[in-house]
Amino acid sequence: MSQPILTVSGDPANPNKSQLHLLPCRIHHDGHVDPVDPYWSPSESKGGMKIAYLRGRKLHGKEMKLPKGYYGSVVEKGPTKAEIPKEEMDEEADVQELPEAVETALMKGKAQFDNVVVWGHESLAESSADPFVRGIEEWVSFAEQIHSYPSQDVGPTKGRTGAC
Amino acid sequence: MAKTRSKGGATSTAPASSNPTNPSKSRYTLQPESSDPPRVFILPKKATPKARIVSLLNPRYAKPTRYLVCPESGIYEFTRIAAPKSTPHSWLIESSSGNLEGQKSVNGAEPDFVAYTTKGAELYIATPVDPLFLVLPALAQTTSKSEKRLFLSGYDHLESVSKELSPHLSEILHWGNVRTLFEARMAAICDTIEAGDESMFRLNEENLLKEVLSKAKRMSETPLPPSMEEKFVTKALEAPVLSVKRAGTAATAVVTEPAAAEPVSSTPMPESGESQASAASTETTNSLTPEPSTAATSVAGETIAPSEELAAAIQASPEVTKLQRLRTAFSFICSSYIAPPQTAQLKKLLSEKKDLVDFAPLDDYLAEVSKLRQEAVAARSTGDYSRKRVLDEEEMMARAEKKRKVEEEDKRKKAGQSRGVKNLKKVNTTGMKKMSDFFKKKL
Repeated sequence: MSQPILTVSGDPANPNKSQLHLLPCRIHHDGHVDPVDPYWSPSESKGGMKIAYLRGRKLHGKEMKLPKGYYGSVVEKGPTKAEIPKEEMDEEADVQELPEAVETALMKGKAQFDNVVVWGHESLAESSADPFVRGIEEWVSFAEQIHSYPSQDVGPTKGRTGAC
Repeated sequence: MAKTRSKGGATSTAPASSNPTNPSKSRYTLQPESSDPPRVFILPKKATPKARIVSLLNPRYAKPTRYLVCPESGIYEFTRIAAPKSTPHSWLIESSSGNLEGQKSVNGAEPDFVAYTTKGAELYIATPVDPLFLVLPALAQTTSKSEKRLFLSGYDHLESVSKELSPHLSEILHWGNVRTLFEARMAAICDTIEAGDESMFRLNEENLLKEVLSKAKRMSETPLPPSMEEKFVTKALEAPVLSVKRAGTAATAVVTEPAAAEPVSSTPMPESGESQASAASTETTNSLTPEPSTAATSVAGETIAPSEELAAAIQASPEVTKLQRLRTAFSFICSSYIAPPQTAQLKKLLSEKKDLVDFAPLDDYLAEVSKLRQEAVAARSTGDYSRKRVLDEEEMMARAEKKRKVEEEDKRKKAGQSRGVKNLKKVNTTGMKKMSDFFKKKL
């Protein structure tokens, strides 16, 4: 087992809200870039369009809401540790051998967001061309449509979420 | 970042800066990179905190893939969206408050997440997945292995998948009602018998087909996502528009000979007559006067009618569109969630089972479209010499490319010549002997 089971933490009720910007360039740096405001101060123009300048380039932003029923989370992977799963189902289990240690790791939710601003260089990102816009706008509802199945009498309903 | 001129940065953001009185603080030190950059996920709100990300066998690609399993609300798959190399992207994650100072004073102890950039912009979206597809490899495996096609319990089916391929499958079976969920979905595509208090399952391809088809049918009720609809439905059903346009202009060109363009159509749309006329007049401004009289427009409208009729004749009916959507959806499901051998099996079964869905109208329509396309190509190659050839984009590109190449070659040749040779080219050689003269046989 190369990959551990990951736990996603982060409390949707108490989020550390943040704003995500998808920049039309690659920044070769993974990490903090504080303080950012001397370099990044998006503003809204009269037409409701977002405008920002990044190193002299004019960027146009388009805000994209996440689909209903979804939230965004920025997570950081924690260290992996091995742990023996708790025996909860011992009487019905017909496993003779000892339960194996399962590697687990925590994905710590560091921030949450519910919209993404997609920036384009002097143009707005097109929904037909940009994979991110398409993924968020189209894929989620489409996937729900594919995978909706009649809910069982056992367990909570999952239902047809696909009706869009 | 430190490369940026400090002055420009400071003046442009003076109101935002916290302490403009301190001009010496012009350069910022960049904090070291983190080894494990944060990732951006879009997660369903329905998933409870008990949900875990595990590796399970991907039904299509037969290798472990990450899934989010929630013991209560079901299973979700991750779709990774990454920017292609041609259009680089990065994430900039910024605390939303917009005013940094407030944020810092509130929780000054942890300026944990103020601004962050990532090198690659990846986005993971968790969307629900039908457990049916996840149990499919297990069912298929046990079915193919034993020729007798035994009934097995759900647990036995699932246990048959090796640990290498689906590392956490046995683990998640103990969680909440994951196992009941799996078995319920299994029942939808299997023959079942009751043995004691347990149900036994055996894969039934026909049921699987029906299940997949019902999904596809549900998807075909509404238009597919715009990009998909455009590519696979509209484009596929599109009749050769080019020929239609050509027919229209041809008809208006012979506007003086009404016999040639007699409207034979029995069902011209009367309510759209005006719009047709206006379209015709805009199309043919070169042949008509800029301000056409009412008679002219009516003639133009009538003459354009046959071509409009042609377009209408090869317009896809809603039924055909729906069938095309159904087919697209079906093959999409198959190509994303079902292993190739099973896909082939299902497609074969689908073509045999005419009672489930009949694609005949669609096939007829597609055949007609392809015929029309061929005709259009043929008509273009023969009937076009009277006018200037209209190049399509590809030809244009090819031509431009050729021209560019020739030019380049020329340039290269010229660059290879020395100055002396170049200068000598300008010399007036009239009256001089040619070089070849010296090598002629002496008479």
